[in-house]
Amino acid sequence: MTDLESKLTAEIANLLDDKKVDVFIAFKKAESPLHPQPAFFTESNQLGDFVYNSLCQNNLAAFIPRYPLSARIGMVVRGCENRAVNHLVVEKQHARENIFMIGVPCEGLVDWHKLVNRFGEEMIAVDEAKDEIMISYRDRQIRAPRQELLHDSCLRCVHPNPLSADVTIGELKPEGDPTLARTEVAAFSALDNAARHAWFRKEAERCIRCYACREACPMCYCTECFVDHGVPRWTESTVSPAGMRAWHIVRAFHQAGRCVSCGACERACPMDIKMTYLTEKLNEDMRTKYQFECGMDDKTQPPFAAFNLDDKNRFEL
Amino acid sequence: MIDHKPKIILFQCQWCLYSAEDQTWVDTQLPVNIHLVKVPCTGRINTLYVLNAVQGGADGVMISGCLPEQCHFKEGNLGARRQLDQFADFLDHIGYERNRVRFTWLDLQDRGRIQRDLAQFEADLTKMPKSEALATRVGGHHD
Repeated sequence: MTDLESKLTAEIANLLDDKKVDVFIAFKKAESPLHPQPAFFTESNQLGDFVYNSLCQNNLAAFIPRYPLSARIGMVVRGCENRAVNHLVVEKQHARENIFMIGVPCEGLVDWHKLVNRFGEEMIAVDEAKDEIMISYRDRQIRAPRQELLHDSCLRCVHPNPLSADVTIGELKPEGDPTLARTEVAAFSALDNAARHAWFRKEAERCIRCYACREACPMCYCTECFVDHGVPRWTESTVSPAGMRAWHIVRAFHQAGRCVSCGACERACPMDIKMTYLTEKLNEDMRTKYQFECGMDDKTQPPFAAFNLDDKNRFEL
Repeated sequence: MIDHKPKIILFQCQWCLYSAEDQTWVDTQLPVNIHLVKVPCTGRINTLYVLNAVQGGADGVMISGCLPEQCHFKEGNLGARRQLDQFADFLDHIGYERNRVRFTWLDLQDRGRIQRDLAQFEADLTKMPKSEALATRVGGHHD
């Protein structure tokens, strides 16, 4: 157990023993070291399995809308999870006073796709130091620099620090560089229409419609998704070109002004489909057109909900 | 260049054409290449409607609505303007050219503007190649 993990365990145990939270959402060990599993702790004696490292890839804020508003929830939050919680509070999915957040400045998540592509699947343990990842096999250990294994959305992360956590453990990290964060989507936008469309088709056609991206996303909390509607059938729900493209377009567009750039959708995808080139474009537009960045506080409404007559001259007539 | 007339889907807010002649023209005399979808307000236009039009092989989508202060439901068009404009930009991002989605925000006092705008839109679309990006259900067949 790392130093951070023991500090967190002590903190969580206190919260559960003092009955300050009803449930604490965190991670526990699973069979594969690559995929720690979301866990819901209600008693402090369950915390033996608790784990917190760079492979905890889910955005646990996704579970918040499933609880009633009165449930008191505890969470360990990184920068992106904190922003997701903030935005869920804006959308009235939970009450801020019923969420207790333990903030941890984030070093960036290790992308398991990258790890497996490079080192195979036979590893028995993955440990980490500040800048290094140690991968242990039965007979040997390999070290690799963390920077090379970070998930793409963590490489361009701008706000790694929790913004409004109740307690913060660990040293704050320097903010990311916003210009660097935008280079990727700017490069994509600079391509011509045909090239952009070809890229989109290539990504979308690998989709198997498992909806893991939807389940992983903290903002996809609709009780009935448009693809699950039978009557009216909004779009083809089979693995057809029309259906797959419609899914990718509309899933991304529903995140306009609501995406916190955590990248949980991409990490959840079993087909390694890139999706953030869509949502980052929308985030970029929301920044430039409406000066809005999602989750920076728990009051500001997103642009599509905050229209008013000042918009009068915004668009062509 | 398109060798036949471009296929246009017109989403029309039922309140935006105040002049009876214009409304009658839209209701009864639209050219066959223009398909009319009447909605109670531009705020009712789900982005999926636009997407379905595009996937169905529309060369262009025109959305006609009321000016900001003149919405029958006070602010339905304000939300629609933000959303649909962004959706058009987003479709451009994945390859459906931005100028294939056009808005015409009509003043109550406009007469004959919808005819002019549709004619202009059709002329502009005729200069462009047929829309292939995203069209997946042309003629009832899948690609």
